[in-house]
This record gives sequence, structure tokens and C-alpha cells, in this order.
Amino acid sequence: MFGMKTRKKSAALLLTAVMSLSLFGCSTGNTTTGNAAKPAGEGNAAAAADTASKAAGGKLVLYSAGPQKLADNIVNGFTAKTGIEVEMFQGTTGKILARMEAEKANPVADVVILASLPSAQALKADGLTLPYPEAAHADKLNKDWSDAEGNYFSSSASALGIVYNSKLVTAPPKSWADLAAPAWKDAVNIPDPTLSGSALDFITGYLSANGEKGWDLLNAYKANGVAMAGANQEALDPVITGAKSIVAAGVDYMAYSAKAKGEPLDIVYPEEGTVISPRPAAILKSSPNVENAKAFIDYLLSDEAQKLVADAYLIPGREDIEAANRANVKDIPQLKVDWTWMSEHGDETAARFSETFK
Amino acid sequence: MPLLLIFWQSVYPNGQWDWMAPIRTITGHHLSGVLLNSVWLGICVVALTTLLALPLAWMMAKTGMGEHRWVDVILMIPFMTPPYIGSMGWILFMQKGGYLQQWAPSSANWSELFFSFWGMVMIMSLHLFPFLYLLLRDALIRIGGNLEEAGAVHGARAGYRFRRIILPLLLSSYGMGIMLVFVKTIAEFGTPATFGRKIGYYVMTSEIHKYISSWPIDFGKATSLASVLLSVCLVMWYMQSAISRKFTYRLVGGRGQRSKRYSLRGWAGWLCGTYLAILLILSIGIPYFSIIAASTMKLRGTGLALDNLTLEHYRELLSWGSVSMKAIGNSLGLSLAASTVAVIIGTGFALAIGKSSSFMQRVIDLFSLLPNTVPGIVMVVGLILFWNSPWMPMTLYNTYGMVVLTYVVLFLPYTVQYVKSSFTQIDGTLFQAGQVFGGRPLYILRRILVPLILPGMLAGWMMTFTIATRELVGSLLILPPSMQTSATYIFAQFEQGQVSLGMAMAVVTVGMTVLMLLGIEMLNSKRKWNAS
Repeated sequence: MFGMKTRKKSAALLLTAVMSLSLFGCSTGNTTTGNAAKPAGEGNAAAAADTASKAAGGKLVLYSAGPQKLADNIVNGFTAKTGIEVEMFQGTTGKILARMEAEKANPVADVVILASLPSAQALKADGLTLPYPEAAHADKLNKDWSDAEGNYFSSSASALGIVYNSKLVTAPPKSWADLAAPAWKDAVNIPDPTLSGSALDFITGYLSANGEKGWDLLNAYKANGVAMAGANQEALDPVITGAKSIVAAGVDYMAYSAKAKGEPLDIVYPEEGTVISPRPAAILKSSPNVENAKAFIDYLLSDEAQKLVADAYLIPGREDIEAANRANVKDIPQLKVDWTWMSEHGDETAARFSETFK
Repeated sequence: MPLLLIFWQSVYPNGQWDWMAPIRTITGHHLSGVLLNSVWLGICVVALTTLLALPLAWMMAKTGMGEHRWVDVILMIPFMTPPYIGSMGWILFMQKGGYLQQWAPSSANWSELFFSFWGMVMIMSLHLFPFLYLLLRDALIRIGGNLEEAGAVHGARAGYRFRRIILPLLLSSYGMGIMLVFVKTIAEFGTPATFGRKIGYYVMTSEIHKYISSWPIDFGKATSLASVLLSVCLVMWYMQSAISRKFTYRLVGGRGQRSKRYSLRGWAGWLCGTYLAILLILSIGIPYFSIIAASTMKLRGTGLALDNLTLEHYRELLSWGSVSMKAIGNSLGLSLAASTVAVIIGTGFALAIGKSSSFMQRVIDLFSLLPNTVPGIVMVVGLILFWNSPWMPMTLYNTYGMVVLTYVVLFLPYTVQYVKSSFTQIDGTLFQAGQVFGGRPLYILRRILVPLILPGMLAGWMMTFTIATRELVGSLLILPPSMQTSATYIFAQFEQGQVSLGMAMAVVTVGMTVLMLLGIEMLNSKRKWNAS
């Protein structure tokens, strides 16, 4: 009995010691960012304080989806030009939206770059975006991809095609329907539209152009063993290694850049047309650094940044700038898509698609 | 107790209205199938980890093989490997045109059979068994030789001794171990996301992830799914605590112990050696062959060929001042901070929980386990909502401290379980003895309690450290912008199509952690109180 009591006492003692210690840790950690009382992190804590002190002057928080090298280049170019420090969170469209949702009560981001037009339309519809109609060069943007009121600007785009392993495929399919042929049984991947905004754009775009009939093609895909395989890169990877032969609705810039590296990849745009998926950037209404955000949008649409976009194998958002290393808008047969229908029916289409392909 | 608040936040994210409604709607849907998938997966993984871990634990505790301490550290490798990397390794090895088929083309007939439910069970078991093994081995060592000898003196045969002495004494640790394995399995996200999706096997975590990472984001649905998962875990916890209360014995008493070790000669030695070798090949050899192969390839489309080898990716990775080096530094710093804090708090909790006799203690026990039962991603969203809410006097969000806090919350259960496991088996008479000889509480704490639970604390620290270095889900959402850890770096490389670079990073981080643990192990073997 006695022993039990002492043990409890000593345990309680240790516990209080621990509690007060952690409490102490918390309070110092929060009064000043600089003194986060975790011994191992001193270096980083000091760095955090450093950026915090600059916050008053020139800072921009950017959430960016898409190729990281491009984002890095754009950020570096922007900082070199304006002296504004950029803090960037890099992720997929889904992750960025999740983070924004989690931060709803206390938003942090100034500018978001997404890989899906309907998501940007939804942000606008929810009143989360800050219009900036006077952005420099906004008049030169492709009208179909950007908002007339300046709520979002598509500074780049990518087209969806049939990406294939050139070692395994000698006679590439020419149309979307070909992929339902027995020759390609179990050899095709399609990105998951709930994870890949561009795949969703293709599916809704195809449906908006073909109506309910469009599902015939998708059902035929399913019957032919087309596999739904994660986001874009996840769907492409097995094709590079040869486990699969083809990605349907593959993002073209990934294919071009892998091909440039020497991987056995190539791409065709089906003759009946495809969907070009714009990548919109928007200023958030909650932005604490509005002026910096506007400067960033201006930079994004500048000749310099558009050149960086082209170098990353993406289609520049401005119509007066062309990419030399890839097929440009005029070379790509396009489906007659209806973006309004697409953004209204995105959810149910994605749900029906993943239910079918599960 | 912030845990409690955070938990509330994560289950009822918007605080108001419909937190019962989604549960009802979801249970009506296809959910029951997905839930059954999760539970069935958990059961199968528990069964297979037991099969893998039990013989090994016995070998390492009771035979001459126990002297090879390095085995312990090597066996931590599967556990240190991020689950999605491990599954990737297996996929690259077994898939059509994969390494196995490039090597032995005739295997094409059967290798793709691997892509089934049982393949998934195998991958997950090979990832989780070291965890169970460590718990069982420590328990077996604590049981010591005297009790078994006593049994032998009274004429019991080996089988009887195992059944009537070892098994009941082991049961409490085993229960704890399998509960954590089960919970980890059904809360695991990496393997279902990479391997499960390939074979069309969907579990609760993949559903939750779907609601949380794709437009439209629906935290309500995700959290109500999470609470279903949570209820399953609660049932498991209840069963485990019932078992453990029934079968907890005081094993570490005042008398010295020596453990009986069987020497291994002849066929028994061979058998044990082969068993260990096969286990090592399956759990480390094959996945790491793929990972290392993938990390040294110039062109992934070319496959295994000598002229396709390059160390370029490692050079790029390890060049001084690069993004990747910063990521490694961040990972190490964060893990060190988090594991140290977790050990301190976790020990406090474990001691407060004690032998789970009072109701309050069991409640604390339960809450210290909760972070492990809620899928990481839900927990993290809860934490963000909590620490970023406007009514908080200070926002920890987007700072270094927030990351440490998240890690601590996520990994606290490990320390608590490890320390608890060693604490519950200390006999109270030791403390009485200390009292009788006039020891003050602090003195008893310092000279009796701490030395005896130190192995548990150390194990918990190591466990937390290794998991924290590879933590992905939390880091993805919670890291301040412009900050990366090695895990998010790997993930970003995969997203960007730089698979080789990502794999190289995996090799470097796991390699570094192994070296560190080997160092600790060497220091550790000089300890005097090793036997208990």
C-alpha cells in the first residue's frame, strides 16, 4: 500500500516537472518567434525570426501547383526584380485547396497558382478572389482561360494527349476510340480525376462536347482494362518503366520534359480533338500583402516569366508568345468544350468516373 | 491537456451542427465494405506479423543469436523506410517488365500474381513486424530464466513450459504490440495509396484522403469517417486493456536475474540462421534492391544495365547548400527535438497511467493512444484548425514549433507504450525497499525508477526519432512555406517525375538514421543495467 502511494507520488512529481517544462517551452516559443525554445532547432528558429522581421516590408506567400523547377525560376526572377521575398508552398491542386480550407480562419496565402480552371472558378464563385483587372498584359491572355473581371489569370496551360512508351508502341493510336481496341487491353493508364485537375478537365471536356454519349467511350475504356492510377506522374511512371504502354489524357509537358531527358516517351494529340487545361493564378481576397501580390501577377504575365513558362514545356498563357520546344495551341486539334458546364458538373462527373473505374 | 481539445477539433471540425448526420449518411453507403476491407487487412497483417516476429523474438532473446546486437538495428530499417517507398520498391521489382522479369524473364508467369490482397498484407507485415519483435523480445528478456527453470525443476516439458509460463507472461506485451500493429495498419495511408490503388483494394484511409485532398474538400465527411475508424480502434483498445489487466505480472523484482540462453549448434543453428536470412532478404533485400537500383539509373526507361548506372543523383542531392541538404538538416533537427520532447512527456504520461487501475488513469491511457488511432492526416487538420484559430492568444501555426508539436502529438503513443510496458512489470517492493532505507522520492526516482525504465525510454526515443525522420502526411500540410523535410522532398520529387532523385534521398536518410542508431546501440551496450 505504502509503496503504491510513493510510486504515485514520484510519478506525479515527474509529471508536474514535465508539464511545467513543456509549458515553459510553449510560452517562450510563442512570445517571440526567435526564441522557440527547442534546443535542436536554434538555427532554424533564428532563420524564422529573420523572415518575420522582413514581413513588414516585402513578403509574398505563394501556393503553387505544377512543375517545381518552373515555380522556383519564376520566384527567383520575381525576387531579383522586385526584392520581395517569396515563401512558397508547393503541392498539387488538391493539397493547396486542403491547406487553404484548413487555414480558413486565419489565411496566410497571398497568391495561388492552381492546375485546374474549375477550381479557380469555384474560388471566384465563393468570393475568395480579389479582382485585379488592370494587370499588365492581361489583355493579351487567351480569353477563354482567364476571367474577364480579372479574378484569375491563366499564365500557362497544358494540353492532354495520348502519351506512350516508344519502345513498346510502334504504331501509336490516333484517336481516343482506338484505346478501347483489343490491342491495348490492360496496357493503358488514366490519371484519377479526383487527384488530377487536368484529367478531370479532359473527362468533363469530352463529355461537354459529346453529351451523355461520351460515357460510351469511358465505359469501353473500363471494359478494356484501362486502369485509374493516381495523379499525373503516378500514371506516367509505369509507362516510363514499361509496366504499362500508354497514358490516356496524359499531361503533355511532363511527356515533353521526360522525352528531352531521353526517356522512351512520345505523345500524340488525337485527331478528333483534345482539351487544353489552363493553369490559373489568383490573388486571394484575404491577402495581407495585396500590393506584392499584384506585382507578382504582373510579373507572371511579363515577357520574362512567359518565356520561363515556355522553357518548361508549358503553353504560355499569353497568345502573343509561342513555345519553340512543343506543339502550340494552333497545332493542337481541340474539342468544342463548354467550361461553364464543365465546372458545374465536375463533382458529379469525377464521382461517377471513380465509381465506374474502381 | 491539449490532446483532448485537438481531438475534439478534429472530429467536430466546425464545432456546430451536423456531427451526427454525416455518420448516419455514410454508414448507409458503400462504407461498410470499405470498413470491412480495413478490418480484414488489419487482422491479416496482425497474423502475419506475429508469425514473423515471434520466432525471431524468441531467437534473439533466448539463444546465442542475441549477442548480435546489430541485427536489432538492421531490423529497424524496414520500419524506417517510408511505407510508400517500400511498396514502390516491391512494385518496381514485381511488376510487368520490372526488375525481377528483367533478371529472370521466366518469372513473368507468376510474378504478377503478387499484385493481390496477399501481396499487400505481406508488404505491410514486413514493414511493421520489427515493431512487434522489439516489444516481444524485451518482454522475453524480462521474463528471464528463473521462472522457466523453476518449471523445469518441477518436471515440465518444453511445450508445457512455453504454454503455461512464457505465454501468459508474454500476453500483456503481445496484446499491446498487436493492438498497435492493428491500429497502424488500418490507419496507414502510404501502402494503400500506392499498392492498394493498383489492385483496387480500398480502405478507410484512402477514402478519408479522398475527401481531404481533392476538390470539393469535405472535412466533415473525412472526420466522420475518421470517427468510425476511431471506434474500431477503441474496441481494440478495450480488448487489449482487458487482456493486459488480467495478465500483468511483476517480473522485475529485487533479486538478480540471469537469463537462460540456449546455445545453437548443428541444425538448430542453421535453421535460425536461414530464418533470419530469409526475413532480411524479404524485408530489406528486395525493396532496397529496387530502391537503390532506381536511385542510380540514368534513364528509367532503359532498365537494369551497367551503362545505365550513374551516381549523378547522389551528387546532386548531397551538394552543399542545396535544397535537399537543407531538407535533411530540417528533418534531423525536427526529429531530434520532437523525439526528445516526446520522451519527456511520454514518460510522464506512462508513469501517471501506471497499471491502469483507476478510471482516470485508463482515460489518460486512452487519450495518449488516440493520436495513433486517428489517421495522421485528420489529426493534422485538427491541429491546424486548433492552432490557427483566431481565438488562440498566439498562433503557433507556420512556425517551427508547430511542426515539433505535431510530431510530438503524432508519436507520443510510442513512448507511452514503451515506457508503460517496462514500468508495469517493475515490482512495487523495489520502491518500498528504497523507502525503507530512507530514500526520498527524488532519490528513488533517480536511482530506482529511471534506471529501470530507461531501456523503455530509449526504445521510445529511437522509435519516435526514426518515424519522425520519415514523417510525411503531417509535414506535407503543416510545414511553413519554403521549408522542406527529407520526406516531403522525396514526395515532391515523385510528383515532379524525378523518381531517381527521390529514391536517392530515401537511401541517404535511411542510411543516416541507421548509422546513428548503430552508434547509440554501441554506446548502449556499455550500459550496466542491460539485463533488466
